[in-house]
Amino acid sequence: MNRRNFIKNVGCGAMGSTTLLSSLTSLGALNGLTNFNKNAPGEDYKAIVCILFSGGIDSFNMLMPTGTTVNGDNGFSEYLALRTDLAVAQTPSSFLALNNPQCSSFRGQNCAYSAFGVHPQMSGIRDLFNEGKLAFMANIGTLIEPILTPNEYENSLKKIPLGIYSHSDQIMQWQTSVPQSRDALGVGGRMADILNANNSNNGISMNISLAGKNVFQRGQSVSEYSISDNVDPNNVGLQSFPSWWGNQGLLQEMRTNAIDSLVGQTYSNLLQKTYSATAKESMASFEIIKEALKRVPTISTTFPNTSLAGDLAAITKVMSVRQQLGTKRQIFFVNYGGWDMHDGLLGGLNGKLPVVSQAMKAFYDSTVELGISENVTTFTISDFARTLTSNGNGSDHAWGGNNMIMGGAVNGGRIFGAYPKMILNSSNSRNISYRGNFIPTVSTDEMYAEIALWYGVSPSDLCYVLPNLRNFYSYAVNNYPIGFMNFNQSPISTTNHPLDCLNY
Amino acid sequence: MKTIIIFTLVLGCFQSTFSQNTQTFGKGNIKGVTVNASSNASKGIKTLMSTGYIPNPKASSRFLSQATLGPKLSEILSLQNQGIEPWLDEQFAMNPNFNLQNYVQNMHQSMVDSLNLQNPAGNYTLNNVFIDDWAFDVAWFQANMVSMDKLRWRVSLALSEIFVTSRISAFENNPYALASYYDMLNKNAFGNYRSLIDSVTFHPAMAVYLTYMNNHATDTLAISASNQTKKKVFPDENYAREIMQLFSIGLFELNNNGTEKKDISGKSIPTYDNDDIGNLAKVFTGLSWSHSRYLGDNSNVNDWSYTKRLKFFPVDSSEKYTRWWANPNTWRIVNGHDPGPKTFLNQTIVARPVADGQLDIRDALDIIFNHPNVGPFMAKRLIQHLVSSNPSSEFIDRIATVFNDNGIGVRGDLKAVVRAILLDPEARDCCAEKENTAYGHLREPFLRYMNLINGLGLTNQNGVYRNVMVDLYDRIEQKPLNSPSVFNFYQPGYVPGGPLQAAGKVGPEFQMLNSLSFSNYMNALHKWIISNDPIQYRSIFNNEFYKSDQEPKFDISADYILAKDNRIKEFLDKYNLILAQGRIKAENMSIIQNVLVSMPITFDVNGVPDPTSADRRLRMGIFLIMIAPDYLINK
Repeated sequence: MNRRNFIKNVGCGAMGSTTLLSSLTSLGALNGLTNFNKNAPGEDYKAIVCILFSGGIDSFNMLMPTGTTVNGDNGFSEYLALRTDLAVAQTPSSFLALNNPQCSSFRGQNCAYSAFGVHPQMSGIRDLFNEGKLAFMANIGTLIEPILTPNEYENSLKKIPLGIYSHSDQIMQWQTSVPQSRDALGVGGRMADILNANNSNNGISMNISLAGKNVFQRGQSVSEYSISDNVDPNNVGLQSFPSWWGNQGLLQEMRTNAIDSLVGQTYSNLLQKTYSATAKESMASFEIIKEALKRVPTISTTFPNTSLAGDLAAITKVMSVRQQLGTKRQIFFVNYGGWDMHDGLLGGLNGKLPVVSQAMKAFYDSTVELGISENVTTFTISDFARTLTSNGNGSDHAWGGNNMIMGGAVNGGRIFGAYPKMILNSSNSRNISYRGNFIPTVSTDEMYAEIALWYGVSPSDLCYVLPNLRNFYSYAVNNYPIGFMNFNQSPISTTNHPLDCLNY
Repeated sequence: MKTIIIFTLVLGCFQSTFSQNTQTFGKGNIKGVTVNASSNASKGIKTLMSTGYIPNPKASSRFLSQATLGPKLSEILSLQNQGIEPWLDEQFAMNPNFNLQNYVQNMHQSMVDSLNLQNPAGNYTLNNVFIDDWAFDVAWFQANMVSMDKLRWRVSLALSEIFVTSRISAFENNPYALASYYDMLNKNAFGNYRSLIDSVTFHPAMAVYLTYMNNHATDTLAISASNQTKKKVFPDENYAREIMQLFSIGLFELNNNGTEKKDISGKSIPTYDNDDIGNLAKVFTGLSWSHSRYLGDNSNVNDWSYTKRLKFFPVDSSEKYTRWWANPNTWRIVNGHDPGPKTFLNQTIVARPVADGQLDIRDALDIIFNHPNVGPFMAKRLIQHLVSSNPSSEFIDRIATVFNDNGIGVRGDLKAVVRAILLDPEARDCCAEKENTAYGHLREPFLRYMNLINGLGLTNQNGVYRNVMVDLYDRIEQKPLNSPSVFNFYQPGYVPGGPLQAAGKVGPEFQMLNSLSFSNYMNALHKWIISNDPIQYRSIFNNEFYKSDQEPKFDISADYILAKDNRIKEFLDKYNLILAQGRIKAENMSIIQNVLVSMPITFDVNGVPDPTSADRRLRMGIFLIMIAPDYLINK
């Protein structure tokens, strides 16, 4: 029996309960039933959500120092002097203050300041931070090994990532965490290679993308399944024939069978092979997800009407039917682009940062509603940060920047990494350009390692997920890569998988 | 005995090739090859000796699938008589005869005239009547329905995906910006690469897209006499980076055959570093709108501002205008264009007076143009777009050599490059795929649409079409000048997972293929061919009389007779030839045929099929052809 027939049979058997559930949904009698989708006590479910800000977000205008103490924490004054016409505000009180952010030092680099605020349009993010559900990572970026001084960079005493400042390279390296290679698999894909076995039904990939093909979710044995933000069973797969054609059911079946046969043939040309593999997988997935989506409950969290919020709301819906999909581990990928603000920076940020803030807040709230807020960890990535200095009305490509990690299992309310000094003279051991480009202090490897350990990758499997990690970190009990995850509810996995360490 | 075995194998090869009726060219072995010679007998042998190409129907269709946006049956047949090289000569001799900007403006004017007729008190003019960006798509589609210079439109589409600008930008609603840029590509498609990058660089759409419009010299002087705080403004680096990374030389030094050069430790050698970028960024300073009064002037920008070549401002005299009321002695007059020498790519543009700064741009473009990477870089990209994703290094080498010198000492002759690509043995040779299992490319979604439009001969009575292509873009995420970023709809080095990755090959167009786009494509096909709704018409002004003729449907009634069980194979063969260049294999043809013959059909007393049921059979057939993997990969 091939997979399609199998699914068809299961689909028929499950018909009764589907019909019942959908009619109850339409009657609004769902109070008792929504619990069905809530996290059952002890349910082993974990999801990670990667939000890509493609284009390179100016993250030193997302998280800013607010101190104005001369000879003390004078972060805001230094920020203002450096960013000139790109400064988001002329007074620090315009920023939304973060309560006691405990900005920490990292690998010998001290956090330059103690008082911080976020962009005035990010009240949702401020609230999540102050409630301990969101943390920042300061000056994180692509690294092959630690680079401690400008000298190590300038004289190539340490390995330098390929194509720093190039969009295509950096956006890829943030997704692969292998900056010395242009053909590495993605971090999410490699995690899925390790953990896919936890899922009982592999008809739908555990890696679900709202942004089509992407590097992050590509593994050796797992690739992404792409959906649209219109999560509706009627929006999956092939459209029906016009009703006036008659015999719709028969025609559809013939067509489906023919497509299955066409893409199921053996092809010797590698492009044809590649095309038919995607087509075959897609054809097999449509019915599984269609059936599952029929059981999405009513979700009361309100999402704003933006593309990012729409994508995140779609993820909430998919997570709500995780049991129907037979999945214990899922990885989601979203892209919210348009950050390459060489021009119109301040207005651009004013337009986009509230979208980010509101969408992430709504998404967090929806995971609370589903009872899985501690099971879902969301983080943001971007190509790179941008030059601190202005090009007139915008900023150019730089390197290390700031990002966010959100979820009930995050040790929120803190800034990890080490926020760099907003001064470009030799007192700043991170700066390597008159434009204000910073060597990252924290590597993407360390962030991903922390997430992977929480997600259930065993310490000995980390070398498959993160081939360069050994240059930064080695596991020991209670010694975590950065410390932003709370491991109380998530003991470190001891289940090892027979995948060899990767080397690039 | 040995000889006989080899002979048998060779014969077997020809037979199997032959059974699919595919011609083998230029392999030095002319045994068993049939040639459709036309005008004179010498053409046949010329073909066999690889000095001239007279193709059979499949080879003709295959050539046109590379050199045009999809053939019509009549074009396939006519090329067979004409031969490939005369066709190329004819195409190269045609001047661009369809001006998109004029078409947009005429459409705009007719909107204005109609509105004034409706409401004479309205005082409508081109300046106060909004015209949407889809006017560009209407013009583009019209051009492709009526223009004879098919090769130029194929090449300009490829150029639009290399020298990318996009309406996903500050000019999202401006059809004039798009039309003007595309006209520029058409004009330069068969010209010289050096002129092309000059035209690209000085086009306002590119200047806005890659943010060097009003790009200012380094400014670290005091803000004013009364405020001694120093400015900290540096040139925008965006264009400096992308013109090198994406439009000319790429990230690593290349051999002439497209492979990356290696240093002594075996590592690829970067073409430039961030200092080169900083220096080249200084070159692209001082450019503003043609109507600007000063560098930084963004006033009075309208739709037509995007159609006029940029103007150079050596000095930033903005305070003459923005502080006109102040004492001229307090005006802050600073450099608009960066002074001093600029070193990049190991060459230095010497210091010259800023008044002559525009010469810096000329010199910089010369330096880029003469970099040895440009030949292999452009060769590979154009081959990938027209022929195959993974050309051999020999193929790239041959084309790069033509780029370097067209034979009469001219570098950058794109006409010679396009001709060489299309006539190259690796493009023409049907058997290249036997040696290279990654031969060909995935047809990009928009090309599939144009294949269908052309292949089914969509037409109407008066030859005017109105296709806004908005729904099409929502479904297939591709149409001209609508890329999500400067990195195009897909990147040339994209490696899809699976067998291509394992073989170390790329599949650029696969970046657009996923489970969602796969079903979206099938449902788009469903709309175009099953629901017979290939064109999206919109009114251009309120209460416009609906011009149904401008929204034609596919008429396949001439083929109804082929819907009979015993003739359905003829029908499928015909569309296999037109749409898939005859490449759909026999097993797949039977799968499709089996579906069609199991669809009900009735006949009248004369044995003529009932039109409705015949129509459905044929539409289902075309739909399935266009989903077959051997259609989707054009090889």
